[in-house]
Amino acid sequence: MTKEELKDKVYKAIEEKIKKGGKSKLNIKDIQRELPDINPRELKNLCNELVREGRLEYFSSGSTVMYGIPGMGIGVETAFKREEEE
Amino acid sequence: MSEIKKHDTPMVDELKKGPWPSFVDDIYTYAEKHKKQACFDIMGLLELSYIHKETHWKHGGIVGVFGYGGGVIGRYCDQQEKFPAIWAFHTLRVHQTGAKWYHTSALRKLCDMWDHRGSGIVNFHGSTGDIILLGTVTEQLEPIFFDLTHQLNWDLGGSGSNMRTPACCMGYSLCEWCLYDVQEMDYELSMAFQDELHRPAFPYKFKLKFSGCPLDCVAAVARADLSFIGIWRDNIRIDQEAVRAYVNGELPPNSGAFSDRDWGPFDIKKEVIDFCPTQCMYWDEKEQKLYINDQECNKCMHCIAVMPEALKPGTDTGVCILIGSKSVILEGAQLSTVLVPFIKTEPPYDEIKELVYKIWDHWMEVGKMRERVGELIQRIGLNRYLIDVLGIEPIPQHILMPRVDPYIFWREEEVPGGWTRDIVEFRKRHPA
Repeated sequence: MTKEELKDKVYKAIEEKIKKGGKSKLNIKDIQRELPDINPRELKNLCNELVREGRLEYFSSGSTVMYGIPGMGIGVETAFKREEEE
Repeated sequence: MSEIKKHDTPMVDELKKGPWPSFVDDIYTYAEKHKKQACFDIMGLLELSYIHKETHWKHGGIVGVFGYGGGVIGRYCDQQEKFPAIWAFHTLRVHQTGAKWYHTSALRKLCDMWDHRGSGIVNFHGSTGDIILLGTVTEQLEPIFFDLTHQLNWDLGGSGSNMRTPACCMGYSLCEWCLYDVQEMDYELSMAFQDELHRPAFPYKFKLKFSGCPLDCVAAVARADLSFIGIWRDNIRIDQEAVRAYVNGELPPNSGAFSDRDWGPFDIKKEVIDFCPTQCMYWDEKEQKLYINDQECNKCMHCIAVMPEALKPGTDTGVCILIGSKSVILEGAQLSTVLVPFIKTEPPYDEIKELVYKIWDHWMEVGKMRERVGELIQRIGLNRYLIDVLGIEPIPQHILMPRVDPYIFWREEEVPGGWTRDIVEFRKRHPA
């Protein structure tokens, strides 16, 4: 599988997991569980590359970092802005 | 410039009183001088928190600048109408230099940038070791990052599920007891692990800290997932003349520290011999001579710190590597445990890097969310971690004391020659 194909596979797995409901931001361990065949270090590199491309985004609770898809779920700033608009 | 709005802060103002320096005074002085609304607002918000007895800060969301998954910690205030200037008040971690030596011109430039783009409030240093720039808005994050990296040659530190900014003690730059080049190792490993420092990879944080000697000024043994502590394996060097000078009161113990009170004449038995954790020292009153059984010494360095003119660490020096300390969260706080009791190492520290990658690869694979390496070891057991994960043969330094539990279960491959077990034959001799 080429690197691009792998990245697509990772993106699709994240997208499906998010669409299933529950969490809109995933920990690296959540993603690993979806893709047990990919080595964790390789998976982390693929996720980071997807972030650089703008297809994924980082989200932090303050102490741990999660991955999300831009526009899916509510980011902290979006939530604040919504409060402000209301 | 819009009009500055000041807040009434009687409770916060109480903190200006007393003999100690006050952050309230400092922030107000700065706010008045630079007309910074954000500084007035954080004082107002603090007053409100004192009234409500709860915090009005939220954190999370913003993680970093483009391409970085750490270095910025998002902070938001939930009192945006009252304190609009601190609606967002993000923290930036800036990677400190080895042993925290700075040129004043570098600091001036950093402060000028922060005056311009942030609240102007800094914290030298946060407990991880970084320079903490406190308070800026989201729009300023990328310009700050550009200024830091392209104009000032600084970089962001670690936060979130990243390797955190490594930290070291003053090392050779200031200390006679330093036993290996902590600044060199700090720099080399920081540069080698840039990807892990800036891009989240782990179940939780991972810290490296380097102390030049067992006195451990950076508290590596209590704070780092992997602690590197300078150590020696030959004998403590003794100057018997100087020992006698301490005993006769000619030299002040502890280099004159604790001299604000009269503790009475120096008592070598009470202050040194009896405090030795392994009881490996003996003071012969008749001979006026100090004996040390170095085989038993566990290198706590108490005696050396009390009588620095008389005792010095040995000359065959190296590094002791410990693993697993952490503060509370999943399990309670714990100190590091010895992994490698002594290793001679020098740049580029390839064997250390190899060990770190081995620890990370396993932790990334089997570590649970928010589980530090110390908790992982606790979960699977130190013996299994050493043998199965790191491939290290257990040695006496790995344990605190011999086990008292008599039930020892061996695996067949752990016993030379193994064994064969025929249950049918066994039952012939031992009916169920």
